[in-house]
Amino acid sequence: MSDIPVTADPGETPAGAAGAGTVADLTAAPQAAVADVPPELLAQSLGQYFRAWWVRVRGGDSGVLPVVLAIVVVAISFQVANPAFLSAQNLVNLFEQSTVYMVLAMAEIFALLLGEIDLSVGLVMAFGSVVVAELVQPTGLNWPWWVAIIAALLACAAVGAIQGSLVARLRMPSFIVTLGGLLILEGVAIILLGPGLVSIGNSQFRNEVVLYDIFWGRLDPVVSWILLAVLVGAAGTGLWLRDARKRRQGLETPPRSLTAMKIVLMAVAGIAVVAICNVNRAHFGTIEGVPYIIPIVLVVLAASTVLLQRTRFGRYVYAIGGNPEAARRAGVSLPAVRTWGFVLAALTAGIAGVLFASWQVSLTTNIIKTANSYVLLAVAAAVIGGTSLFGGRGKTIHGVLGGLVIGAIYNGLYLLGVSSWWIDVVVAAVLLAAAAIDVLSRRGAPRQA
Amino acid sequence: MTADPGETPAGTADGTMVADPTAAPKAAAADVPPELLAQSLGQYLRAWWVRVRSGNSGVLPVVLAMVIVAVIFEIITPQHAFLRPSNLVYIFGLSTVYMVLAMAETVVLLLGEIDLSVGAVALFGGVIAFKLVQQPGPAWPWWAAILTALVSCGLIGAFTGTLTARLRIPSFVVSLGMFLLFSGILIVVLGGANGTVGVSSSALDQRVIFDLVQGLISPVASWVALAVVVAAAGTALWLRAAARRRQGLVAPPAGLTAIRIVLVALVGVAVVMICTVNRGTLLVTVAGVPWVIPIVLVVLGAWTLLLQRTRFGRYVYAIGGNPEAARRAGVNLAAIRTWAFALCSATAALGGILLGSFFFGEYSTNTADPGQLVLYSVAAAVIGGVSLFGGRGKPVHGVLGGLLIGAIAYGVSLLSLGQLATPLQYIVPGVVLIVAVLVDVLSRRGTGSVTRV
Repeated sequence: MSDIPVTADPGETPAGAAGAGTVADLTAAPQAAVADVPPELLAQSLGQYFRAWWVRVRGGDSGVLPVVLAIVVVAISFQVANPAFLSAQNLVNLFEQSTVYMVLAMAEIFALLLGEIDLSVGLVMAFGSVVVAELVQPTGLNWPWWVAIIAALLACAAVGAIQGSLVARLRMPSFIVTLGGLLILEGVAIILLGPGLVSIGNSQFRNEVVLYDIFWGRLDPVVSWILLAVLVGAAGTGLWLRDARKRRQGLETPPRSLTAMKIVLMAVAGIAVVAICNVNRAHFGTIEGVPYIIPIVLVVLAASTVLLQRTRFGRYVYAIGGNPEAARRAGVSLPAVRTWGFVLAALTAGIAGVLFASWQVSLTTNIIKTANSYVLLAVAAAVIGGTSLFGGRGKTIHGVLGGLVIGAIYNGLYLLGVSSWWIDVVVAAVLLAAAAIDVLSRRGAPRQA
Repeated sequence: MTADPGETPAGTADGTMVADPTAAPKAAAADVPPELLAQSLGQYLRAWWVRVRSGNSGVLPVVLAMVIVAVIFEIITPQHAFLRPSNLVYIFGLSTVYMVLAMAETVVLLLGEIDLSVGAVALFGGVIAFKLVQQPGPAWPWWAAILTALVSCGLIGAFTGTLTARLRIPSFVVSLGMFLLFSGILIVVLGGANGTVGVSSSALDQRVIFDLVQGLISPVASWVALAVVVAAAGTALWLRAAARRRQGLVAPPAGLTAIRIVLVALVGVAVVMICTVNRGTLLVTVAGVPWVIPIVLVVLGAWTLLLQRTRFGRYVYAIGGNPEAARRAGVNLAAIRTWAFALCSATAALGGILLGSFFFGEYSTNTADPGQLVLYSVAAAVIGGVSLFGGRGKPVHGVLGGLLIGAIAYGVSLLSLGQLATPLQYIVPGVVLIVAVLVDVLSRRGTGSVTRV
């Protein structure tokens, strides 16, 4: 920690008081350095660990606790208002609706962690969905589905690279660049869509069927259970072995019981999801099994988590978000990392675009309005999930949990017959509340902006 | 007279944030406009050119851009129709909405903040005013309706401002949330997705609101009013400069004051001439200056006075230049910021009322897209010369930028583009916004006060 220049001679220090993103109040650095070692890492027993965790929650760094509480509160309120809310049918529906929010929120988190914001993720999603749907049209290019997906993702990444370069190299404010980018993409999407509609719903063409099944396809119930067993077995073994190795090497490790608890929690959550999804949710006939999109979201989550938590790039992202000047002095190339952050945000938004195309089946210019409202949902989901707007704090799992909250709010209000503009009003209120909580919790924390 | 570098606040801060202290001495020297020191007209022009070269080019780029845009559109529009008086007057009317919104946005941008809710708040204010003069309905007098709209939007702005100023939630997030909130509330107030509210020219209290943009001053009255305004402004300008010269204060050379007065008169004569050409038919004469032009001038005058001649205005510039320095100098940051957001939203409400009047007194959910309005107003302010990073800009920049945006928006719609027309409505403002900010960023580089981080 001490290689960060913590000195802060007031004569030399840049003015501290400031808001979003770029603030570097160096006087806060010494406390921040101490707080950066999570107290859990030093805990030796489960009891100690929980006490340390509670201290951290009290200090404003509450992790996923608020969002889990929010999910419980939202679920209970809607269940009271409408008993159909927690039916297996609606829950699967809710998971499906939430996936696009989740992936978009994960995209946004790449920008938020850097202390930037990407307001174009919604339109990048729309752009990606239009590109992928256009490319597989049998009357058009008729590309194989996987080539179309790769092409769409590359196109989105290119958009991110342009925006990222403008932000990172010229230091244009990210919200302006991405606002302008959003508008340009709106125009481009309208041009690509043309006057009619683009559909991937024709079951005669294999490419369209595959794309359709990304969102609407399901695993067989038996396969779902087997896959769950394999996943939990693999993840559990991996976690256990990693902790055991760290313990052997005398590194800081969470207590053994905690590792066991994490694995059990994971298994319980997995079993609950699979059990819900395997209930027959059709009015007539049989619709059961885990939708493909659940494992897809898990893969995106795992990939982004590994990238951010276990690679040098990820460490640099957090370093820049925490204190750009300190990161620069430590030798991090700010322009490169920032540009890649925007590329990854756009790429992830492109994945959301593929899901979105599959979800909507038919794309018309109406998707533009939808996509525009998704930007706010993505930011709200990330912030509700526990990612800070000021950079340096958050994980992609927050996007998944926050996306679930947003999806639940939408789904629940929709079930209650609330009209869409009132839902917008509620989501706006939730965003403002989440932002206010983010700011206030940072006040409580020792590292204040 | 100048600037002890040790004491002066760093001139310009990056996006409200970090001020690079090493840049302070240069910035401080640049803070005294060289024109102030010039004694003759020649010296003044040379000093001005130095300032333009160093990146602080004022209204020059936007005026140049306006000339270029006018020439290009005149060439490429079918039948070279762009510069016809009827089109120009239409552009004036359309632009006034952007002008007022850009002036609203300017005060927030000067602080180094941004308000993305001006579009939604403007539409909300417009709908409120329209609703209140409905007969049957509340049937309020027009002035009470307008006042209520301004005050209620001012309160909304005060709320946005409080969240930003006291909690220090980034303004773009707060105002983004308010944008979504009021886009929804707007539809609720309008009475659902198909709701409309209109004013007609038949009822008295509705007619005033209808006439704000649609009404015309008769040609003769237009000329008389122009003469009075130019004479009054010219006399005031001349007397002020003369008084300063007598008292030994820094004053522009007398030649410059004369040139300014002549310029004001020329622009006024040009506008009145364009507006008093008959743009109707041989049978139905449509001629005269729209009421909205003096209204915008009044708003411009009020904002200019507030920002350039009052303590509030000086504090706004101080905060925009360097919030920390302003705080240490005893400025109440939270109060000034909150007031700025409140005034911004109140001004936006006026823009919303003008917008409804411009669309022939009819408000529906399709009248204007609040998101696009925000972008146009931010782009107008930045194109006009207001810096996104705070502390640099004047209300008149918003007016010029608004005129340019209006000219581009209308010019594009004049071209027969077929299918490309709709996408270009999005692409053009997006490109314009990015280019304007790019110029802003690059011109700040020229002044040597861009921070590295």
